Amino acid sequence: MATRRERARLGNAALYVLLAALLVVVLLPFVWMLSSSLKNNVNVLTVPVQWIPHDWKWTNYRDIWTQIPMAGYLANSALLAVVISFLQVLTGSFAAYGFSKVRFPGRDALFIAYLATIAVPWQAYMIPQYIMMQRAHLTNTFWSLILLQAFGAFGVFLMRQYYLTIPDELTEAARIDGLTDYGIWARIILPLSKPALASLALLTFVNTWNDYMGPFIYLSSNNLWTVQLGLRQFIGQYSADYAMIMTGSVISIVPVLVIFLLGQRYFIAGIATSGLKG
Amino acid sequence: MTTTSVAQVESGRALRAPARGRRLRRRATLIGWSFILPNFLGFALFTLIPVIAALGLSFMSWDAYNPPKWIGLANFTRLAHDPLFWAALQNTVLYAVGHVPLTLALSLGLALLLNRKLKGIQFFRVAIFFPYISSLVAIAIVWNLLFDPSTGPINALLTHLGVANPPGWTSSTTWALPAVIITSVWKDMGYYMILFLAGLQAVPGELYEAAAVDGANAWHKFWNVTVPGLRPTTFFVLVILTVSSFKVFDLIFVMTEGGPGRATLVLSQLIYQDGILNGQFGYSSAISLVLFVMVLVITLFQYRLQNRRQD
Amino acid sequence: MKRPMRMLAVAGITAAALALAGCAGSPNSDAKSTDSGSGGDAKTTLSVSVWDYAATPEFKALFDAFHAANPNITIQPVDVPNAADYEAKVTTMLAGGDSTDIITVKNLTDYSGYASKQQLLNLNSVEKQVPADKLAGLDSYKYKGTYYALPYRTDFSVLFYNKTMFQQAGLDAPDNLTWDEFASDAAKLTSGSGANKVYGAYVHTWNSLVQGIAAVQNDKDLNDPSDYSYLADQYNMMLKLQKAGDIPNYGEATSQKLAYQTEFETGKAAMVPMGTWLIAPLLADKAKGVSVPDWGIAQLPQIKSGGKIVTDGGPTGFGINKNSKNQAAAKKFIEFAASEKGAEAVASIGIVPSYQSSAITTKYFGLTGMPQDDLSKKAFAPDSVKPDQPVSPNTAAIGTVLNQEHQLIMTGGKSVDDGLKEMESLVKSQALSQ
Repeated sequence: MATRRERARLGNAALYVLLAALLVVVLLPFVWMLSSSLKNNVNVLTVPVQWIPHDWKWTNYRDIWTQIPMAGYLANSALLAVVISFLQVLTGSFAAYGFSKVRFPGRDALFIAYLATIAVPWQAYMIPQYIMMQRAHLTNTFWSLILLQAFGAFGVFLMRQYYLTIPDELTEAARIDGLTDYGIWARIILPLSKPALASLALLTFVNTWNDYMGPFIYLSSNNLWTVQLGLRQFIGQYSADYAMIMTGSVISIVPVLVIFLLGQRYFIAGIATSGLKG
Repeated sequence: MTTTSVAQVESGRALRAPARGRRLRRRATLIGWSFILPNFLGFALFTLIPVIAALGLSFMSWDAYNPPKWIGLANFTRLAHDPLFWAALQNTVLYAVGHVPLTLALSLGLALLLNRKLKGIQFFRVAIFFPYISSLVAIAIVWNLLFDPSTGPINALLTHLGVANPPGWTSSTTWALPAVIITSVWKDMGYYMILFLAGLQAVPGELYEAAAVDGANAWHKFWNVTVPGLRPTTFFVLVILTVSSFKVFDLIFVMTEGGPGRATLVLSQLIYQDGILNGQFGYSSAISLVLFVMVLVITLFQYRLQNRRQD
Repeated sequence: MKRPMRMLAVAGITAAALALAGCAGSPNSDAKSTDSGSGGDAKTTLSVSVWDYAATPEFKALFDAFHAANPNITIQPVDVPNAADYEAKVTTMLAGGDSTDIITVKNLTDYSGYASKQQLLNLNSVEKQVPADKLAGLDSYKYKGTYYALPYRTDFSVLFYNKTMFQQAGLDAPDNLTWDEFASDAAKLTSGSGANKVYGAYVHTWNSLVQGIAAVQNDKDLNDPSDYSYLADQYNMMLKLQKAGDIPNYGEATSQKLAYQTEFETGKAAMVPMGTWLIAPLLADKAKGVSVPDWGIAQLPQIKSGGKIVTDGGPTGFGINKNSKNQAAAKKFIEFAASEKGAEAVASIGIVPSYQSSAITTKYFGLTGMPQDDLSKKAFAPDSVKPDQPVSPNTAAIGTVLNQEHQLIMTGGKSVDDGLKEMESLVKSQALSQ
C-alpha cells in the first residue's frame, strides 16, 4: 500500500511540474495583456518585450469607464450572452432529446440538415441573413442577434452526442414506470447531463461574449454596443491605443472567469484517483 | 446506436401489428417533432433559409445590391482558372491537416490529465482555457512578437539549440502557415478540452472498477474503457474541429491577413474578400459551395465511420 | 459555491445587465436635439454613416458647423466602430435596403464599388453648385461622366522629417529631393544598433507607398496590367535601403506591428513619407503633452529633379444613398461640406480640406503646433495630386493582388522581376473575370 501511495505522490509531483510548465506557455498572452494594460500606449509595442511596465499606469483602469461607456457595453454583452446561452441550452437539449431518444421517420435527414449548415462559412450567408432581418425591421435591436445565435446547430449536436452515451435502458425503464417523454427529459436526462449542459452554456457564453462580427453588422447605435465592439473604438483609422484595448480586454475576461468557475464544478469525476463515480 | 440500432424503443414496440404500428409511429413522430420544433423554428428561419439562399447564389452573378442574374455554372468555370482560389484551397487543406490531429491529441491529453481530483486543478483548467478567451488582438501581437525572426524568443531558443538558420515564421512564405497552425492549436486546445471533460463524465466509473478487477493497466483502461465511452464526444469534437478548421478566418486574419503574399490566404478570407469587399457575391458563394461540399463529404464520412463502429 | 449562491449570482448578473443594457450611450454621441427652432421649416434629421465617431473629430466638427448654419436639419451619425471594417458594414447595410441618407466615402476603392453598383445618387447638379475649381481631388470622383460623391477632405503624400535629427547629421532640410537623394540622406541619418537603433527613414508596409507613388510619378495607371516594369526602380531602391538597415525590415515591421506615427514621434525614424492625415494626430499629441519632435513637412521625393511635384492622394467625401428619404436636405449637406465654410470647420482640427484657398491655408498653418517654415508651406501645395489607383469597376480586386505581390517582393518571397511578372498575369486574370 505504501509504495502505491508513494508512487501516486510522485506522479502528482510530476504532474504539477508538467502543469506549471504548461501554465507559462498558456498564460503568456494574458500576462502581456495585463502588463500592457498598465502602460502608456507608446510603451506597449516595444522590442524586446517589456514584461514589467516601467511606470505603472493604474489610471487606465479608472479612465476606461469614462473614455467609453464601458459599464453599458458590459451590460449589453452580459444580457446577450445570458439570454442566448439560456435559449441555446434549453432548446438545444430539448431538440437533442428528439434526435437521440425518439425514433421517427425523417429524423436522421433532419439531423444531417443541422450538421450541414455548420459546414457553411458565415461569410457566405451573412448578407442573406441581414436582408431578412432588415425586412423584419429587426436590425439595430438585440432581437436580431438573439434570434440568429440562440438556435444554432452546435448546441443540438453537442447535446445529442452526449445523450447517446446515456443508456436507452434508462429511458425505457422510465417509460415502463409511466413517465412521458417530457417527464423523462426533465427528470432523468437533464440531471444526468449536467456536465454537457454546463459546457454548452460555458462555450455559448464565451462565443457570444467574444463575438465581434455579429454585433458589428447588426448594431449601429452606440447604446446597444457590446464590449468587443466598444473596444474597437480604440483602433482608429491610422493608429491604435493598444493600452486601452488591453485594459478593456482584461476587464472583459472577468465575467467569463466567473461563468467558468460556476460551471466547472460539473467537470469532476476523478476516475484516476478514486476509480469510482458518485 | 444511432440510425440503425434496434434498441430504439418506439420502433421496437411498433413491430407487432401494422395498424397499431402506424399509430405508434405517428405518435413517435409527433413527440419527436415536438421536441425538435422550438429549436427548429429558429434554426430553419434564421440559419437554414439564408444558407440555402447563399448556396443558390453561386449560380448567379450578384453584386450584393442590384437584382441577381442567373449565369449557370459560369462561376465554377471561373473558379477552376482562378489561381487565388487554388492557393487558398491548398492553404486551407494544409491548415486542416496540421490543425485537426494536433488539436485533437492535445485537447484529449489535457482533458485526461485534468480529469481528476487534485488540489488546484480548477485553476489549471481555467488557465488552459485562457488562450481561447484572451483578446484576439493580444494573441496576434504576442505570437507575432514570439515568432519575430530576429528578436523573437522562439528563434533565440532555436539558435541556442544549434539551428543555424531558424525560420522566418510570419515573414516567410514557407513558415507563415506552420506559425499560424501552432498558434491556433495553442488557442483552441482549451476549448476542445472542455468538450472532452464533459464527455469523460459520462464514462461510467464502474467500468474502470471492473477493468481494474480484471487487472487491466492504465493503457488497457484507456483503450478499452475511455475510448469507447468517449466515442460520441470524439465524433462531435472531430466534426466541429474539422469544420472549423476548413472555415478558419479570425485568427489568421488578425495574425497575417493572409500574407505574406498568399502564404496564409484561406478560403474563408477569399470568400470575404470577393463577396463583401469586391462585390462579387455570386462568385464568392460558389467558393462557399465548394467548401461546403468538401466539408460535408468529410463529415458524412466521419458520421458513417462512427455509426459503423457503434454497431 | 452552494446552489442558492449560484442562482443568486446568475440572477444578479441578469438583473444588472437588464438594468444597464441599452444605456451604453457614449458621452458625446447624443443626438443633437437642441434646435434653435427658427425659420418654421419642417425639421429634418439626416443620418450619416461614419466610422469611429468618437475618435474621428472631423465628423462632429462638420456636423456641428452644418447644424449651426441650418438649424432645421439635425444630423444623426450612424456609427461604425472600426474603420477597417467600415466597407463591410456599409455593403451589408446597402444590400439590406438600409435608408441611411448619406454614406461617407472613405476611399476611392470603396467609391468605385458604390459607383459601379449605382448605389448612390447622381450628384452632377450639386457639382455645379460647388466651387469645383478649388476642390482638390474632385476629378477622382468622376465615374463615366457622373459624380456620385463630392469631397470634403483631400489628403496627399508628403515627407515628414525630424528637424533636430537633420541638424545633428549636418544635412540640409529635404527640400525637393529625388528618391536617390532620399536614399542617401536616409543612409546618413541611420545610426546606432539594438534598442538605440535610429533609422534614416520609415516606409510603412502599405503597397501604395511603393507602387502608388511610382505609378503617379511615372504617369501610369496601376489598373493596367500590360507592363509593370516601371515599378522595378522603386522596389530596388526600397530593397537596397532595407538590406542596408536604413529602413526597418518589412517582415519585422509587419510582425512587430510598427506604427508610423510612433516611429516618427519617438524619434526612431528621421523621415516618414506619409499622407497629410498624420498632421492632425501630431498636433493632437503635442496638445496632450506627449513629447513630439520638432518636425516639418517637405515635398514627396520625385523620380527626377527639377520637375513638377507629383504626389499621390485622394479625397474623402459624401454620397447620397439612393434609398434616402431626405434627398434635398442631404444635397444641402454635401454642398456645405465642400464649401469654404465646411473647409473651415475641418481645417480647424488639423484636417486638410478639399477646398483650397490661401485663406484656408493661412488658417491651417495658424493652428498651434504647425511648423512655420517656408518649406512646409511649399510642401502643402504640390503641383499635382493623383489617385494611386484610379477608379475602375475592379479596383478592389486588383488592389488585393497588388498588395499580395508587394508583400512577396518586400519579404523576399519573390524577386522584383518575378513579382512584377506575376502581378501582370494575376491582375489580368482579375480584370478579365469582371
